Amino acid sequence: MKIVIIGASAAGISAAKTIKASEPDTEVVIIAKEDRVHSRCMLHKFLGHQRDAQGISFIADDFFESSGISWLNNTTVIGLDAQNKTVKTHDNQDISYDKLLIASGASYFIPPIPGLRESKNVYGFRDLKDAQLLDRECNTAKDAVVIGAGLVGMDAAVALLERGLKVTVIEMTAAVMSLQLDQKSADAYQQLFEEHGAAFILADKVVSVDVDAVGRGRTIHLASGKAVAADLIVIAAGVRPAFNFTEGSGIATNHAILVGDDLKTNIDDIYAAGDVTGMAGIWPNAMKQGRIAAINMLGEKLLYQDRYALKNTINFFGLTTLSLGNINPQPEEKCQILIREDRNNYQKLVIKNGVVEGVIFQGNIGGSGFWQYLIKNKIDLSAKNKDLFSLSYADFYDQDPATGEYRYAV
Amino acid sequence: MKRIIIDREKCDGCLNCNIACISAHQEGSNFYTVDLQDPDAQARNFIKYDPQKGYLPLFCRHCDQAECVLSCISGALEKDPLTGHVQYDENKCAACYMCVMNCPYGVLKPDNKSRTKLIKCDFCDDKPDDPSCVKACPKKAIAVKEVSL
Repeated sequence: MKIVIIGASAAGISAAKTIKASEPDTEVVIIAKEDRVHSRCMLHKFLGHQRDAQGISFIADDFFESSGISWLNNTTVIGLDAQNKTVKTHDNQDISYDKLLIASGASYFIPPIPGLRESKNVYGFRDLKDAQLLDRECNTAKDAVVIGAGLVGMDAAVALLERGLKVTVIEMTAAVMSLQLDQKSADAYQQLFEEHGAAFILADKVVSVDVDAVGRGRTIHLASGKAVAADLIVIAAGVRPAFNFTEGSGIATNHAILVGDDLKTNIDDIYAAGDVTGMAGIWPNAMKQGRIAAINMLGEKLLYQDRYALKNTINFFGLTTLSLGNINPQPEEKCQILIREDRNNYQKLVIKNGVVEGVIFQGNIGGSGFWQYLIKNKIDLSAKNKDLFSLSYADFYDQDPATGEYRYAV
Repeated sequence: MKRIIIDREKCDGCLNCNIACISAHQEGSNFYTVDLQDPDAQARNFIKYDPQKGYLPLFCRHCDQAECVLSCISGALEKDPLTGHVQYDENKCAACYMCVMNCPYGVLKPDNKSRTKLIKCDFCDDKPDDPSCVKACPKKAIAVKEVSL
């Protein structure tokens, strides 16, 4: 059997690994537009010059050779013929498959703001290529503007600060990383970034960009009337699933490739995993989807059920945070909020009817992994009769006597 | 694969497993010379006490389908195909701590001192015999057993 995988990030590589571990004789071809495999979550380490391109790889150096996987890099898929079971590449190869996994990820989005899309010095921060282009700009640029203070924008900002640029971050909402943090935990990061030289303009919006004679965006105008000078601009305003090549193939889409619980599309033998499905959200889930799609492509049956994606960890300047679930409940949700803090820690639990809905742990996050289980499985803790902050997995401990694998007693 | 099997009834909470773990990862130290005030003195195991159920010592499972490995963005956490143990490469680690978030049993933790690495059981695979915690347990509440998964 020949399995073709489009995309070489978390989902694609995880699928390839799973296939080869279970059926080494299955032919696997990975097609990727990138030059080399890299972890997009580590791009800031490349741009910040803490690591080179090899240093942000997440596979072994000899991964393709040792596992016998064909690797077509710098290759863009431009078409898919589901009847004849082939994919067409930009260099006019028709590559046949028995089963296909679409793990083509997502692309960054440049909002339609006058001047912004036209500017030649606007970059996303999604792939190694983006980081390499930014790296070149950093050699001459002085003023950097990052649009968007989500995790990607903050990653870009930390790298640009590392490179000695003057960095201004512009954000529509009133706080940084507003999907992951509440005001207090966001303020802690903002302060750290400011101590390292960053400036923030929050609750404001880019309305236009002045483009100079050579096509570079130079002045960024905001709704408040403020103007910010820029030598380079990073846009971190979200991503969109990337599946242009499926047009006309009959694959069902709705702003993303639609899949069932088995991660199969509406067409037999075509599966999808990762950001292109619009339901991965973060790296661990993309890895898991890749694994599950691979197992199903090999004829077993495994469903993608552990879908919980409202989760993240943050580590900037050594300040670590765990964020899970509903962390900024609206007053009408009538949640109970418990706070515990000291000079190094801020901890928040959001509770409704005995069930923890959200958690922020900033500072010490050691041993906090069990909270995800309690939240995603909506475990009722009211009978525990215990200070919730003192909970640990020990309160739910059970062991499979045959294997010693842990289980949850709930 | 080899796994540390827990018999909580036998545990009397002496914390020898804790000290042994810290010492095993503090080069050149032994039970008497281990520096517990060192910021790097973090055990990879822990014991919890419950007034009703008594002591419970907890150790990394090196899970069959390890969530930490699936969450690793850098390739620093990998399942060793021979031992079945989840091994950690500090040099590859990007300290994102997705693994800490995704460990369903709350066993993993960041290092206290620098927040640049992970504190994770290595099964003392670089040492002869059993893991240091198992060797140090006077009550035989923990034992290494071969389990088939």
